[in-house]
Amino acid sequence: MENEKKTKPEGLAGKDPESAFALLIEEHQRLVYAVALRLTSNTDAAEDITQETFIAAWKHLKDFRGESSLKTWLLRIAANKARSYWRWKKLRNWVGLGRGEGEEGAPALEDLLPDRAGDRPEQAALAADLERRVQAAIALLPPRQREVAVLRSQELSMAEIAAALGMAEGTVKAHWFEARKKLEASLGEYL
Amino acid sequence: MNDDKEKRLISLLAVRRHEAFWQRQEKEILAAAAGRPSHRKAWLLAPAAALAALLFFTAKPQTPAPAPENQLVSTAFLEHLDLLDDMDVLEAVPENEL
Repeated sequence: MENEKKTKPEGLAGKDPESAFALLIEEHQRLVYAVALRLTSNTDAAEDITQETFIAAWKHLKDFRGESSLKTWLLRIAANKARSYWRWKKLRNWVGLGRGEGEEGAPALEDLLPDRAGDRPEQAALAADLERRVQAAIALLPPRQREVAVLRSQELSMAEIAAALGMAEGTVKAHWFEARKKLEASLGEYL
Repeated sequence: MNDDKEKRLISLLAVRRHEAFWQRQEKEILAAAAGRPSHRKAWLLAPAAALAALLFFTAKPQTPAPAPENQLVSTAFLEHLDLLDDMDVLEAVPENEL
């Protein structure tokens, strides 16, 4: 997958703490943010989750037992925080404090711009439209299917997804089978 | 469903952002970790709030049994929070790893 590297906790040893932390972020921030965004459909929440995930991981790196990869451990933390986000949101709605969804948490257009300045306006509009459709299709999935689909979309193997979500591998496969059918139906025009 | 179609679907679901976005995000994480006041969101406390709610509603009542309408409210509250549904999650993913 894009920018994937394989730093292990021991690979961070010997560096000064700030450099090691920066390396951890550089290697995994795209993955963690993508998972957080797809799980919450909210860019603000995704940025918060990404930030909190790395800070929590850094604080507890010494407790990391190495039973899973650093990548799946980070994703497990991020998935937990996304679940917390939904519990909080349900609680807010239940007590009547929920806001309308609207454009809340929609990505800023400049964040969707391609790196090449010459391509900007049309590509940004297309990217924004595609982003909305993809996010809407994912949001239609039931929670467990959504989690599996989001991790699969980051090219994790079934075993890695099982480790990250604490599910049996067979359960992951079943969720992915169902999620894929639904996503292909929703996004068929792009496939 | 074939593998090519799966690859196209996975590519479609990817999140793409401008390089400046990732650089900004990295700086923000480093700044937050460096001890500047954390803008911790209320929802990050949700696990603790859920546990408190669960303990509150499952505690042995000290007073006579509540009226039926109160029980309905409690049940609705629990269902709405999906607490029971989330128990497997709480067990599968220990919060102390966070």
